[in-house]
Amino acid sequence: MNRVRPRPLRKESLTKTSTVETATGQPEEAELIRRILAGERELYYDLVAPYQRMAYVSAFSVLRNEADAEDCAQEAMLKALRHLADFRGESKFGSWLVRITLNESKMKLRKLRPAQYESLDEVSDSEDGDYVPDTLSDWREIPSESLERKEVREVLQDAVRRLPEIYREVFVLRDVQNQDIASTAQVLGVSESVVKTRLLRARLQMRDLVAPLLKHSNVFSRRPVRKGTNPWR
Amino acid sequence: MALTCKELWREVSNYIDGTVTAQEREELEKHLAQCKHCTALVDGVHNIVVLVADGRTFKLPTGFSERLKERLRNEM
Repeated sequence: MNRVRPRPLRKESLTKTSTVETATGQPEEAELIRRILAGERELYYDLVAPYQRMAYVSAFSVLRNEADAEDCAQEAMLKALRHLADFRGESKFGSWLVRITLNESKMKLRKLRPAQYESLDEVSDSEDGDYVPDTLSDWREIPSESLERKEVREVLQDAVRRLPEIYREVFVLRDVQNQDIASTAQVLGVSESVVKTRLLRARLQMRDLVAPLLKHSNVFSRRPVRKGTNPWR
Repeated sequence: MALTCKELWREVSNYIDGTVTAQEREELEKHLAQCKHCTALVDGVHNIVVLVADGRTFKLPTGFSERLKERLRNEM
């Protein structure tokens, strides 16, 4: 397997289809940022390419609409370019970009659908009152191969759309984007214990939202959950 | 004292993320071994976590990267 990474090429970056893998290589990312700030702005796509999906899903988590999410995620990436000199490297570039994207998305939501924006703060995540999950004794594993089917993807996407905002943003950062608890807390400006509380409720609600929609679908495997077993371990 | 279902619900996320202590895990699994509702709950939540983490669930719209490159070109 060829492990050699392509070097970013001046002038050609925006036309390349492959990108420098920066998401896991912070020194390389820092070097890219330095070069962009030094004038090689055409390298910016290489910097943001690994974070396109992250930005898009972040915008989707607020706007819940594909077209608005794309527009807003791309606007956030342009804004990050304009303000790149303000990035201090105290957090990961990806976390900084997600914060910008979430802020842009909330501003856009306020502009597009003010009534919906006003309702964002209505859900409280106080510790009072535990969420009581639905009783389901016959949950069956949904095989990951079922994600090839649009119907299954839409059920999951729709369930995410239906989560209250404060749960949705935590769920998307942690479970869709695979950010850790500390990064999620940092991006959202809340404590790790708040992230954990919201994540638990989001996951339980997701399970309750998805199960009835897929219950009568044949996407379930025919293998019933065996009493006392945890099949993923 | 044995865990109640409600106590288990509070730990579902931590259990799935593997952030419970060995003793907590033992107590949770003791409860799961005898409670089919909680087993179904844990399995269901775990399944959700696996499915949404799959890149196929939230894909970038077709042409997203090309449109981004175009906007960046216009910005340069």
